[in-house]
Amino acid sequence: MVFNDKNSQKIVDIIENYARKSSLWILAYGTGCGAIELPPTVTSRYDSERLGIHFGATPRQADVLLITGYLTTKTLKRVIRVYEQMQDPKYVIGFGSCTINGGMYWDSYNTINALDRYLPVDVYINGCMPRPEAVLAGFAKLQKLIQAGKADGANKYKENLDWYRTNQKKVIPNWRMPEYNW
Amino acid sequence: MKEIKTKIIERIKSHFQDAVERDYDYNRLDFSVKKETIPSILFYLKDEMNFKHLSHITCVDWLEEKEFEVVFILWSYTDRLQVYVRTRIDRDHPVLDNIDMIWRQANTYERELKEMYGINFTGLEAPEEFLLEDWEGPPPMRRDFDTREYAARTYYTRPGREDAQDVRETIIKRTGEELPDFAKKYKR
Repeated sequence: MVFNDKNSQKIVDIIENYARKSSLWILAYGTGCGAIELPPTVTSRYDSERLGIHFGATPRQADVLLITGYLTTKTLKRVIRVYEQMQDPKYVIGFGSCTINGGMYWDSYNTINALDRYLPVDVYINGCMPRPEAVLAGFAKLQKLIQAGKADGANKYKENLDWYRTNQKKVIPNWRMPEYNW
Repeated sequence: MKEIKTKIIERIKSHFQDAVERDYDYNRLDFSVKKETIPSILFYLKDEMNFKHLSHITCVDWLEEKEFEVVFILWSYTDRLQVYVRTRIDRDHPVLDNIDMIWRQANTYERELKEMYGINFTGLEAPEEFLLEDWEGPPPMRRDFDTREYAARTYYTRPGREDAQDVRETIIKRTGEELPDFAKKYKR
């Protein structure tokens, strides 16, 4: 059997997307204060594992990168490296108001104000901090996007790499990072 | 507690003539000294008065008086007493004696002060950058460093935050409330 016509490709996509959305592994990497909301989210009270959401250990095994809170330029450097090591499919969730517009650290000398200038963000969860219910709602939104095939932040990043690199290098003056070729 | 405190004040004042004491809390004492006295008074407090624990070294920026005030916070486990040792140094040439031969952990605090305030400790071993990475510019915790201007220049600020500039002005605009006199002093 050969899957080369459009309709059978569609069916394959549906099955693929269903599998992807049902097993989202979060990279266990907390960048700001929001990481404290994740233990209640994955443990028995809110039990996100029933939706297939759980922690993964390394970047190469994880699907979702959660930016939990403010990002200093020092952390941004590590986050970019981690994001570029992750395998496709990969998604980014901006967590808390700090990733959206800087939050309460908007005039600080070492925190970035808008995450989507540096990494492609699929879903934003607002709040300071978002409660586990909000986190789960954000994940539900991400799952819907994945099922519809619209969570394509990784492709966006590859296509507009120059723009992202320019922004990244503007806040990280001393750029000593490996260049990946996907 | 009071007898212990008076005893400590007496002993310190007999050894260090330039020490000015201030006694304000139940278990807190405060000494202001000249900067040359710092190593000897800390040595004395540690070895003779049993203040074994250095809690912190911190700094206050007195911009108007062109001085830094470096504060050493010590704790005694036997007397359950906290002692602050303060000293003022010149803001343009901030140099102080290195004390990490008294407490090794002082090295960490001194490196932090060096990066955040630009205070030089003589003979401090600080091989590489500590908290700030790739930082070019003035020490950021000094009061004359304008963090808002720096952030506006370096980072992209998303529009729609205009009313977050000063909460008081927004309240006045929305409610017509009068600004109290003391608040006008802090107007941005």
